[in-house]
Amino acid sequence: MYNRPPEFAKADLDQNTSILKIPFISVVSNRLLESGKVSRMKRWLTHSMIVVYLGALFSGVACHAVEFGTASHPIMYFFVWDMFCGWSAFSNRIQVVGEGESGAYYELSPGPWGELKPFGNLGRQHYDYMGYRSPRFALNCLKHTRHEPITRVFVIEETWDKKYNMPEDVWNRIYDEPKDLKKYYQVRHVVTPDGVILQTHPSWLSRQFAISLANNPRLQAESRRNKPFYAFGPNPRPRGTFASGNFVDPALRQRVGSQLGE
Amino acid sequence: MSMTTAQPSLDDVGLQSRFRRFFYAEEVPYGLAIVRILIPLALLCVMLPRWVYAREIFSSDGAVAPLWIAYGYAKMLPIPSGILAVALHSSLIFFLVTSALGWCTRISLVCSTVLYTYLNLLDSISTMTKYSVIASHVLLILSVSQCGAIWSVDSWLRRRQKNPPPGDPVRTRPTSAVWPRRLLQILIGCIYFGSALTKIHTQGFFSSDQMQTWVLTRANFHNPVGEYMVLFPALLVIFAYVAIVWEFLFLFLSWNGWGRVFMLVIGAGFHVMTTLILGLYIFPVVCLSIYFAFLNEGDVQRFADLLQRLKRKFGFDPSRRQSGFQWWPLFQVPQAVRMPSPALFTLSTLVVAVIGVELEHWNDPYDIRRPEGPHTLRELDLEFVEGTLLASSEPMRNRDKVARIDIGTFLIGGVLGNRRTEFKQGENVIVQCVMNAGHEDMWVECSLRDDRDRVISSFGRPVAREMLRSNYYYELSEALEPGTYFMVINGAGEEVLRRQITLRLRSKISQADSKSPVAN
Repeated sequence: MYNRPPEFAKADLDQNTSILKIPFISVVSNRLLESGKVSRMKRWLTHSMIVVYLGALFSGVACHAVEFGTASHPIMYFFVWDMFCGWSAFSNRIQVVGEGESGAYYELSPGPWGELKPFGNLGRQHYDYMGYRSPRFALNCLKHTRHEPITRVFVIEETWDKKYNMPEDVWNRIYDEPKDLKKYYQVRHVVTPDGVILQTHPSWLSRQFAISLANNPRLQAESRRNKPFYAFGPNPRPRGTFASGNFVDPALRQRVGSQLGE
Repeated sequence: MSMTTAQPSLDDVGLQSRFRRFFYAEEVPYGLAIVRILIPLALLCVMLPRWVYAREIFSSDGAVAPLWIAYGYAKMLPIPSGILAVALHSSLIFFLVTSALGWCTRISLVCSTVLYTYLNLLDSISTMTKYSVIASHVLLILSVSQCGAIWSVDSWLRRRQKNPPPGDPVRTRPTSAVWPRRLLQILIGCIYFGSALTKIHTQGFFSSDQMQTWVLTRANFHNPVGEYMVLFPALLVIFAYVAIVWEFLFLFLSWNGWGRVFMLVIGAGFHVMTTLILGLYIFPVVCLSIYFAFLNEGDVQRFADLLQRLKRKFGFDPSRRQSGFQWWPLFQVPQAVRMPSPALFTLSTLVVAVIGVELEHWNDPYDIRRPEGPHTLRELDLEFVEGTLLASSEPMRNRDKVARIDIGTFLIGGVLGNRRTEFKQGENVIVQCVMNAGHEDMWVECSLRDDRDRVISSFGRPVAREMLRSNYYYELSEALEPGTYFMVINGAGEEVLRRQITLRLRSKISQADSKSPVAN
C-alpha cells in the first residue's frame, strides 16, 4: 500500500485549514501527525468518500435503468438523472382565483407585489404543473393583502395545443389555415382560505383520456360487472378515475358548486 | 489513464496499482481551481435574482414548495422563518463569492454546499432543477478537494505570510491527490449515462416528437432557433441518435487521447445547442464548467508553452512587464490592525447576513409598510371567471387532436424527410398525419381533392390512442391534370386540416426516360 510521507499530509492539512494554528489544536494535531494516525485516518476517510460516493452514483443510475425505487425518497432526486423525462403536446398554465363573500373574484397569484420569473418570462406559479403547491401561493397572497373575507380558492389549469406557440412565419410554412387558438380550463383544486382541500380533480388531459376510455361500452360493461371484494385487512380501496365502475361520464358536467352547496 | 505526475514508488503493473494511480496520483489542481471559480459564479447568476424573493420562496412567511412533500414526507427539514431565510440566502451569496475568490476556501465551499442544497430543497418548483442538483454534487466534491491551493486568496495569503525567496519550494505549485477530479469526471459521465437511459425510456424521443413539443413549450428562456427546428423534424431524429450514442460513450471514452477531445467537443456542441434550441442557460454553463475537470497538468503546461510562444512571436518582453499590483502597498493595513483570516471571514459573514436582513426589511417585499398600507387584491371580471375559468371543462376539439399534416416523398426514422408543397406528375407522395399525444382512438381519413374541392381519392385508417403518426400513400399519376390540389384530413367525421399542393407537368426529358409500359 502506498503511504504518503507525513510531511505531505501535514502540507495538505495546512492548506486552507487555519484552524490548525489555534494553540491547543496545533499541539494535538502535531502529536497525531507524528504518530502517523492522522495520515492513516485521512487515507481511510478518502477511501470511504470515494467508495460511498461512487456507490451512490452507480446505484442511482442502476435504479433509474430498471426503474426501481426512483421516487422512494427525496435523496433519489440527487442520483436519478431524468432530465426532460416527460412531455406533452399541450401547454399548461395555472390560474389561482379567490372568491369573496360578496361573490366577486380576485386574482391570488401572482401577488400584487410582483412575482419571480425563474427561467424567462413565465411566473413561478406556472411551474407548478400539477397545481399542488398553488394553494400555498393563494394563502400567502391573502396573508399579505387587504381584502374582503374569502370563501373559496380555486386553482385552475389553463391548457392549449402547443402548435399555437409557433411563431407566425413558422406557422405559415406548415399550415394553410390561420391560427385558431382554443384554451381549455379545468378546475384542479378547490380550497378553503385556511388551506383545507375541498375538491381535487385530475388534469384536463387526464380527463380527456378518461373520457376516451369511457367511450368504450365493452370496457364500461366489464367494469360494472366487477365486484370488489375485501376478505380482510385495511387494504385501501382502489380509488380514482379507473377504479371499479368509476369511469368518467362524458355527459356529466363537472361542477364546482355554490359556496354553501359543497 | 491520463496521468500527469507519476509517483516513483507506485508499481505500474497490476490492476490495483493502476487503480491507485487513477485516484491517488499527485498533481497541481489546475482543473479543480477553474471549476471552483466558475461554478459559484454560475450559481450566483441564479441565486442573486432570487434574493429579492427569498422571503417568499424560501421561508414560512411565503409560499415554499419543499421537495420532500412531493415524495410523501410531510416534515423532513425545518422551514426557516422570513428573517432566517434572508440571512441564510445573503450568507450563501457571500459564500459563493468567497468560494470563487478562494478565501477560506474549504469553509466557504462547505457552507455553500449546505446552504445551496438546503435552499434548493425548499423551492422545488422554481429553484431546484437538475442543474442545481449537479451543482450541489460539484460543490460537495470541491469541498473535500484542495481546489483552493492555487489561484485563490488563500494561496496568496499563504505566500505572503511566508514571504519565501525566489526558488523556495513554497513558491512552487502545491500538489494534491487527483481523486476529487476523478469524481467530477465520473459524475458528469454518470449524468450523461443516466440521461441516455431517460431518453430510452421516453416515448417519442427517437421520432423527435418529444423535442418538437419541448421547443414549443416556452417554459425556459427564449429559444428562437428551437422554434424553427420544428420545420426539420428529420434533423431532430438524427440529433437524437447522435446525442444518445455520445451520452452512452462519454463515461468510457472521455479519459484521454482523441476520445477525450471528441467527447468534450461534442459535449460542448450539445450544450450550446441546448441553449439555442431549448433556451437553457444555466444548465450548459454548469455542465461546461465541469468539463475543466478534464484539464490535467500536461494540458496546462501545453497551454502555457503556447502562450509563451505567442508572446515571443508578438514581441512581448516579460522583463519590461510592470506589476499590476504596484498600487497595493498604498492600501496595506498596518500590522497591528490585521486580523486572522478566519476571524475576518466569520465577521464578514455575520456582517453580510445582518446587512442582508436589513436591506430586505427596507425593500419591504410584500409592500406592507408603504404609506398606503398593504396591497388590495385585483378583482377579476365576473363573467370571465364564471363563464370561462370555472365553467365545466370542454372536450378536446378534433383539430387539437391532430398536430399537423406533412407531405413529402421519403421517411427518416418514421418522420417525413422532406416537407414539400410542389410535386411532379408520377411522383409517389407520402401524406403524414401527425397526431397530438392525448388523442382518442380515431378513424382518420385522408382525401385528395381538386381545386373545386371534389374528392378524387380518399381512404382512411384507424389511429389508436398510442399512435403519433399515420401515413397515407398516393401516386400522383399522369391521369391528374397539373394544377392545385388539396390533401384534406378528416378526423371523427369532420375536416380537421388541409394542405394545398401544386402538381406540375412531368418534364419531357423525364417522360422520355421513363420505361415503356410495353415489354420489348
